[in-house]
Amino acid sequence: MAKSRALPADGDGPDRWEAQLRKGAVEMAALASLWQGRLYGLEIIRFLESRSQLDLAEGTIYPILNRLKAEGQLTSEWVEAEAGHPRKYYALTDAGRLRLRLMAEAWTSFSSGLSRLLEPVLRPADEDLSAGTPVLEEKEIAR
Amino acid sequence: MTSEMQIDNYLTALRIHLGPLTIAEREEIIREISAHIRDSAEEPGVSVESVLARLGPAQRLAAQYRDGLLIRRASRSISPLLLLRATLRLATKSVSWIFVLFCSVFGYLSGAGFVVIALAKTIAPAHDGVWVQDGQLVSAGAFIYGVPPMAHEVLGMWIIPLGLTAGSLTLLLTTYLIRSSLRISQRVQARL
Repeated sequence: MAKSRALPADGDGPDRWEAQLRKGAVEMAALASLWQGRLYGLEIIRFLESRSQLDLAEGTIYPILNRLKAEGQLTSEWVEAEAGHPRKYYALTDAGRLRLRLMAEAWTSFSSGLSRLLEPVLRPADEDLSAGTPVLEEKEIAR
Repeated sequence: MTSEMQIDNYLTALRIHLGPLTIAEREEIIREISAHIRDSAEEPGVSVESVLARLGPAQRLAAQYRDGLLIRRASRSISPLLLLRATLRLATKSVSWIFVLFCSVFGYLSGAGFVVIALAKTIAPAHDGVWVQDGQLVSAGAFIYGVPPMAHEVLGMWIIPLGLTAGSLTLLLTTYLIRSSLRISQRVQARL
């Protein structure tokens, strides 16, 4: 019973889970995009699209930047551009830099632990069979 | 409708829905979103319609800003109204917040109840108290109509300091519960 419940009940189960996972990573990704220097909103969106598979709904990033700024992790300044209108550039504060480092460390240790756990799941099927063979042989010898 | 009109309509709707923010905050958001729309639409093969569609409805975009602000303000406030509003808003998004909302309402009501009982003693002393009969608690509180006939009241004027202390402790605890929940949710909150 428990096993069948653990399997996705419908086709969009894993997709929804993945969407939640991506959403949760947006804040860290937004901070990370500013590690090298200041960027404005659209640049952050384009940077995240090209460097990661974070396909953002563009409306979500601006309120997040606004919140990170209110929390003192980012600063912003308006810079006149050739486009004819000024752009709002964001940069990491010292607090933001520190927070991002801590997030990156937590994320890396968490994901490497999970990768080890998932390694057998992702191994190609035939390799998995051959890995199982010695166990069978041992059993036969024991018999 | 021309692209300029579409952009104007979107920004007007955004401005209206950003109502509760200060004028400075609101205009800064409008300016930034306006720059985003114009920059995006300048890219080859991109229409204003598609840029606005990717931003999502103005109402939803504004709601994300408003929610962020509400939670930030509430987590620094002691106003029950503001704290309950933030809790109510979050309860529409997650089950654990429905639980916090339930506890908050219960906490505020019982805290206020203790204070009311304490104050009622000064107005109608005979109708307010804790009544005991044969060593068993019969009833407690403030009663508009009659009091338990056979029982005797045990607390007397002590109900005033006791009620006020219990009331303020309950109210303080409730405030603390909501504020710390809000702080925790700000840490994990990329969900809004």
